[in-house]
Amino acid sequence: MSETLYVQLLDLACGGLLLTAVLVLWRRELAVIIRVFAVQGAALAALVAVLATREGSAELWAVAVGVLVLRAGVLPHLLRRALAGAGEARRETRPLVNVAASLLAAAVLTLLAYAVSQPLVALSPSAATQAIPVGVTVVLIGFFVLVTRRRALSQLVGFLLMDNGITAVGFLTTAGVGLVVELGVSLDVLLAVLVLQILTSRMRETFGDTDLDELRELRD
Amino acid sequence: MSALGVVGGIAQPVLIVAGSPLLVGVMRQVRARLEGRAGAGVRQPWRDLRKLLRKETITPRGTSEVFRIAPLLLVATSLVVAVVVPFVTTDSAIDPVADLFAVVALLALGAVALALAGLDTGTAFGGMGASREMTILALVEPTLLVAIFALSVRVGSTNLGAIVSSTLHDPARVLSPASLLAAVALIVVIVAETGRLPVDNPSTHLELTMVHEAMVLEYAGPDLALIELASAMRLSVFLGLLANLFLPWGIATAATPAALVVGVLALVVKVGLLGVVLAAGEVFLAKLRLFRVPELLAGSFLLALLAVAASYFLA
Amino acid sequence: MMLLVPVVLPLLGALVYLLFGWRRATAWVSAVSAGLLLAVAVTLAAGVTRSGPRTAMAGLLRADALSAYMLLVIAAVAVLATAATPAFLRTEINAGRATARTGTRHSLLVQLFLAAMTLAVLAANLGVVWVAIEATTIVTAFLVGQRRTRAAVEAAWKYVVICSAGIALALLGTIVLNFASTHAPGAAGLDLAALAAHADGLDPGVTRIAVVLLILGFGTKAGLAPLHAWLPDAHSQAPAPVSALMSGVLLSVAFYAILRVKVIADGALGTGFARAALLVMALTSLALAAALLIGIRDYKRMLAYSSIEHLGLVAFGAALGSPAALAAALLHVLGHGLAKAVLFLGAGQVLQLTGTSRVDGVRGLASRHPALAGCFGLGVLALVGLPPFSLFASELGIARAAFTAGLAWQTGLALVLVLVIGAALVNHTSRMLLGAAHDHPVPAASPVPVVLLAGLMVCAALGIAAGPVPVLLNSATHTLVVTR
Repeated sequence: MSETLYVQLLDLACGGLLLTAVLVLWRRELAVIIRVFAVQGAALAALVAVLATREGSAELWAVAVGVLVLRAGVLPHLLRRALAGAGEARRETRPLVNVAASLLAAAVLTLLAYAVSQPLVALSPSAATQAIPVGVTVVLIGFFVLVTRRRALSQLVGFLLMDNGITAVGFLTTAGVGLVVELGVSLDVLLAVLVLQILTSRMRETFGDTDLDELRELRD
Repeated sequence: MSALGVVGGIAQPVLIVAGSPLLVGVMRQVRARLEGRAGAGVRQPWRDLRKLLRKETITPRGTSEVFRIAPLLLVATSLVVAVVVPFVTTDSAIDPVADLFAVVALLALGAVALALAGLDTGTAFGGMGASREMTILALVEPTLLVAIFALSVRVGSTNLGAIVSSTLHDPARVLSPASLLAAVALIVVIVAETGRLPVDNPSTHLELTMVHEAMVLEYAGPDLALIELASAMRLSVFLGLLANLFLPWGIATAATPAALVVGVLALVVKVGLLGVVLAAGEVFLAKLRLFRVPELLAGSFLLALLAVAASYFLA
Repeated sequence: MMLLVPVVLPLLGALVYLLFGWRRATAWVSAVSAGLLLAVAVTLAAGVTRSGPRTAMAGLLRADALSAYMLLVIAAVAVLATAATPAFLRTEINAGRATARTGTRHSLLVQLFLAAMTLAVLAANLGVVWVAIEATTIVTAFLVGQRRTRAAVEAAWKYVVICSAGIALALLGTIVLNFASTHAPGAAGLDLAALAAHADGLDPGVTRIAVVLLILGFGTKAGLAPLHAWLPDAHSQAPAPVSALMSGVLLSVAFYAILRVKVIADGALGTGFARAALLVMALTSLALAAALLIGIRDYKRMLAYSSIEHLGLVAFGAALGSPAALAAALLHVLGHGLAKAVLFLGAGQVLQLTGTSRVDGVRGLASRHPALAGCFGLGVLALVGLPPFSLFASELGIARAAFTAGLAWQTGLALVLVLVIGAALVNHTSRMLLGAAHDHPVPAASPVPVVLLAGLMVCAALGIAAGPVPVLLNSATHTLVVTR
């Protein structure tokens, strides 16, 4: 693969990550959010695939396929199942920060991410490391979604968004953190989502809805 | 000032003034056909303009000079933009004005003049439309600036001609994340700025929702004709800008007759296609509630900002 | 092989519960497994102090004095908690709040929880440490939500969401640190010992980002402010033995990860950076605990906030970084673990006897259940830091080291806050224990709290005559002090 093509594909994949993160923040329909999240998983897999082709590593290709299956297949499927059980509560109606303000906040977060990740880029400038700020931005936007959304499912997506961003940073810095750790991380994420999903359904049993506004029994 | 620039400076305004009512006509015709109506024909806007221009000038009681000057200012700014922006030729007749900031400022000036005129009438609708227009404008202008700025970063110049010719030399750039994000942002703000669906519906006078129409409600006769012409010109200018920033192919780079003909044809085809797509899209869209509009615009602002960030940091 | 035993032992326990369920014959399996764990920990500690660190499993597991000490803490608290579990579960089942199935799930998850914690302290690789600590979150989520009431589910949700988010930050930090280490001489990867040895080659700018993320992330799990919000809810809603384990050791295990990171940070950035970060978190945690403890109305939440306070103190000691301060902080970890386990187990019994977790609801406990009330009172006195309990010795050690280090006003502030917290604790506890009892009928039998007494005695013994512990502490602090 030629250098320019590699850079261009890499940048496109990163652009996809960024755009989907913004769309998650933008849209209210939970079904749409989940679809966007699946697209982001595909973009992440594409990113890994581009790196794999570049390195010519079969192992990384396998990881790319794994990422695609987990993040564009399994996780969205789990989320969709949780949504199907949710009844009519299918919209993020009243986020803590309204959508226009959160989009502007995301703009600030982007700048913050770029400022913070400068040392990382400076350590070994290359096309891949220059895209690290994109991963950090996705992490920050995910954190923002986690903090400001009230629906349990949106919080879940926020958490997964953070995780996608972290994974992207992981692949952009070096080609992974070692296979053992990589597997452990993926397994943990899957488990965490399962736990959260079980808790969501249990919450629905006890609270009737998964609006986190209902959660106000425990406070000082 | 090059020969190419001079030719462009003459050809472009003529083309825009003559063509923009036709563009509006084409868009109305497309909508009509898609909705199963016969439509009034492509030349109807021109016929409307001719009829309006023949009427006598009437101004509401109590209005000041602002109300009278606004249509002229609107047409004048649109004309200047039509002269300088690289539509048919990459060179500009007045090169320093073909600057990103100057062009956006000129376009904003026209919009502000119209909003002031809306306020000047002192009627409820005029004020309402003006206030809504200002809300939209406050988010549209920065987005416009930032989105085009994202494209100018890698060129190292805010001159629109330079941006266009650099894209011409390096076509691969069109597919970079910066340029894609900027394109999405620009499309959203152009839709908002020219008062199309889903932000504003140009074909209704429903008091709850109208923005642009509310401001111009008190105009009649030649003044109204000027405003209608100017809004049509603004639409063509924006679509032409969008087309040439991202798909500049066909634009004349030399002052030969063949190149100029190709340039004119390319512009007509590109703007026409964009107009048809926009009109077809409008058929399938419902108008956004007014208080959801800032959300849309904030989103496009974020995209534009991301485009700038991406153009600085990626590649 | 020796190193694999502490991880496998609880897994075997879990297997037993998976196969046979919770019944009369298996009720004590978890306690036996914890007891064996303690024996292994003691042997390992002796071995490590005698002949230095050892590794196993192709370098994936590594035990130095610090790991051995943490293993000891885990095992000691686990013995207390699991020994009290059969009685606890039986009472719950008799009261109809649980079934044998709940018992099975509880014991199974507790064993997995222990396995994850031992793996966290024995892992040689920061990535594996991260995986193990995240695993504790997943396992304990179900334990916190065990009672399935609204409050329990709410607590479990908050717990998982906040801790997962925090621990995700730690993952990002791990990745960034890995990035720094691949571009540094020494090819350390994520191996903790190698990273600490080659820390001065790490790029300072990148390491700074990594350290902030790691301290913030593991600090979430350790219950340090600003990401502490899950702790009072989770600790107050979890069943008593689980609260004891979570408060007594889980927090310190997370803090163990911070200690490991601090060594690397000190080597790469000098001691100032991690110290500043830890001091801020420690003082914020203390202030927060003090502010909220004054008006607290729920005694399990009171104990939870006191955990935030004590982890704050440990962080304060770790921030100082001198050998004396680190030794005191580590001793504090053990003392706090024992005392807090005793108190949470006691609180569980109080809750079972009175049916309320409100401080106002438990008046005159001393007249109805003198033994239990005595243990609870002594436990609170231990927590406040009165002699002869070991917390007195460790708090004194931290304070002295702080004044030596010249952090006068920070130490003064910390001491005032500790004083306020102590007064609040004693005040609330005396309202629970003393006074005339409500005149609703007293449940006939009140169990003799043998386990609680044992825990208190160990805690006191540590304070009076530390025995061989200082030797272990000494070599543990050696791995933490950076000479540069």
